[in-house]
Amino acid sequence: MSVKSNSVYTVLGPVSAAELGVVAVHEALLSVVPGAQYAFDVTLDRAAIFEALAARLREFRASGGGTVVDRTGLFHGRDVRLYQALARATGVHIVASTGQGPEAMLGGYFLTPQTNPPTPWPAEKFAELFAAEVTEGMVVPRVERLGPAGLVATAATRSGMTATDESLLRGAARAALATGVPVSHLFGADAVRELEIALDERLPADRVVIGGLDRTDAVAAGAPLEIARGGAYVALDHIGSTDEAYLTGAERVALVLELVRAGFGDRVLLSSSATGVAKGHDGNDVAFGHVLTRFVPQLRDAGLSEADVQRIVVDNPRELLSISVPVQASAPVSVD
Amino acid sequence: MSRVNTVLGPIPTEELGLVAVHEHIGYGMPGSELDTKWWRSPEQRYEETVPKLRAFHEHAEAYGGGTFVDVTGICNGRDVDYYRSLSAKTGVHIVACTGFVGGDTALPHFAAADVDYLTRQFVHEITVGIGGTGALAGVIKVGVSRGGRMTELDKRIYRAAARASLATGVPILTHLAIDAENAVAIFREEGLPLHRVLFGHVDDGVNAEKTRDVWIAEQGGRIGFDTFGYETELPDPPFWARPRRERLEHFLRFIGDGRITQVLASADANCSPLGWPGVKGHTVNYIFDDLLPDLRGAGLSEAAIRTVFVENPADFLTIQK
Ligand SMILES: [Zn+2]
Repeated sequence: MSVKSNSVYTVLGPVSAAELGVVAVHEALLSVVPGAQYAFDVTLDRAAIFEALAARLREFRASGGGTVVDRTGLFHGRDVRLYQALARATGVHIVASTGQGPEAMLGGYFLTPQTNPPTPWPAEKFAELFAAEVTEGMVVPRVERLGPAGLVATAATRSGMTATDESLLRGAARAALATGVPVSHLFGADAVRELEIALDERLPADRVVIGGLDRTDAVAAGAPLEIARGGAYVALDHIGSTDEAYLTGAERVALVLELVRAGFGDRVLLSSSATGVAKGHDGNDVAFGHVLTRFVPQLRDAGLSEADVQRIVVDNPRELLSISVPVQASAPVSVD
Repeated sequence: MSRVNTVLGPIPTEELGLVAVHEHIGYGMPGSELDTKWWRSPEQRYEETVPKLRAFHEHAEAYGGGTFVDVTGICNGRDVDYYRSLSAKTGVHIVACTGFVGGDTALPHFAAADVDYLTRQFVHEITVGIGGTGALAGVIKVGVSRGGRMTELDKRIYRAAARASLATGVPILTHLAIDAENAVAIFREEGLPLHRVLFGHVDDGVNAEKTRDVWIAEQGGRIGFDTFGYETELPDPPFWARPRRERLEHFLRFIGDGRITQVLASADANCSPLGWPGVKGHTVNYIFDDLLPDLRGAGLSEAAIRTVFVENPADFLTIQK
């Protein structure tokens, strides 16, 4: 059993859930491929990065946005100090994530530790690592902890979940259960099976969002409806970019309407996987406000009601991000 | 002109003095920086590290100074600004490396890179600087991933290192000398003379039996007995520990076969480990406190000691262009 609190963990601390407004729920602020920070041809000019991100956040706010969720996890360029300054400067709420994945994105510390044999990390150790980022603060490597993580983000390998991917997901589910934040999982090859793994850890389905469900392979497998039926959130998270592996804009509109008509309007999340600033990769140059300014009008034109629009861009992410406090457990935050 | 790149700038080879050729200021697997269990304050880091370097400096005085070669790879907590401050304040020459301890310590950005990109990374760090520090790398680190065989990524890194070595004149140090046939083949294909490569860790407890040290030496490679001090006699030995006597005898046997000009020795200690517990009491000063007395006890002359700790490393580290 658990009850929802009315607060959400942002990089500046708990914020009343009612304040979030429109949420871009599956995005990236500073996105750095692990290792690129040491590359001879990559420069990380903090002032320039700040300026670029602040411009994008202000544009988002001007278009009606309230909150951006950085779901890149703890090892893909996350810079909590910078995000705090951005949140203060722009007035946009920033929710940052702990978690990591898929396996190929991990450091050797987790995969080939200095033990004999070099056994990869089990779920329990990932759970502790991630939970501490919620309860004690997110790590600024070897310096300090700063601000609570607002969700746990994991991802599975596209060709199929590896053993370590599964440990990451199970660890994320345990951390979510212990701390009340949700899990955002970018599925690998089998969305339904991967959701089952999170649920196997006794995490309620409504504490999980499965990302990548506007991929053509997910739709061909019937995953969006299946995931919604299972009670988890369905993220269509590549809105605004053209990619062979994903639905077209029109197909996405149809999928949203299909989900709503099937009674799952309260399970749908929309996002762009936009990259504010990318280092070591091309990133995805889409505005954080794209869903609001370009996609929502298409949904309205296709007949989606205003109530459903509000539900999808405001209510659903608010419910997802609201801390879910385990009953009869020591709560990480006061339930107000 | 004879020169070696240190973190405070190039120095003449003649200034190197006694060289600890395979050491670490602090080592941690990539990602260990996220685990607070290993964190120490900067106060603690300096407190753990400075006295060891100061003692090293004092011991090395008899050899005209001391040089500490830090072979902590690119993603393993290498921290050149910190090394610069340590060197400036203690007087110990510190040589930093470019390269990777092994493919399994290269993060995704580098793991996905081709030989050409890796070569440019290494050459840049040797000729332009490491990050924004301005310090030039003085050696190139490569190594074999866990599992005993060179992976495809290990091989890409070895090949890039060979090209960077040929382009810059800086030598290569290996982590592990197992699967040496593959390593030697790559260096040969690239045209790198094997005396520019120190095949390290031939003496560690896990791999010594599997390491063809004599064969590597016959091919012309240099041989690193560089895990001195990781002993099974320790109260809490690491898994790569080896009986003290056994390692010493291995070393003496090897140099007794007329190969003293091909060996280098070191302790592979951490001044202050970054992502593992370290081995309590094991420091770079094992060289002075234990190893040199053991070697003298075994009848090694002062001239032989100078060959191993001064002349061989000077020859190896000197930029050869
Ligand atoms: Zn080492």
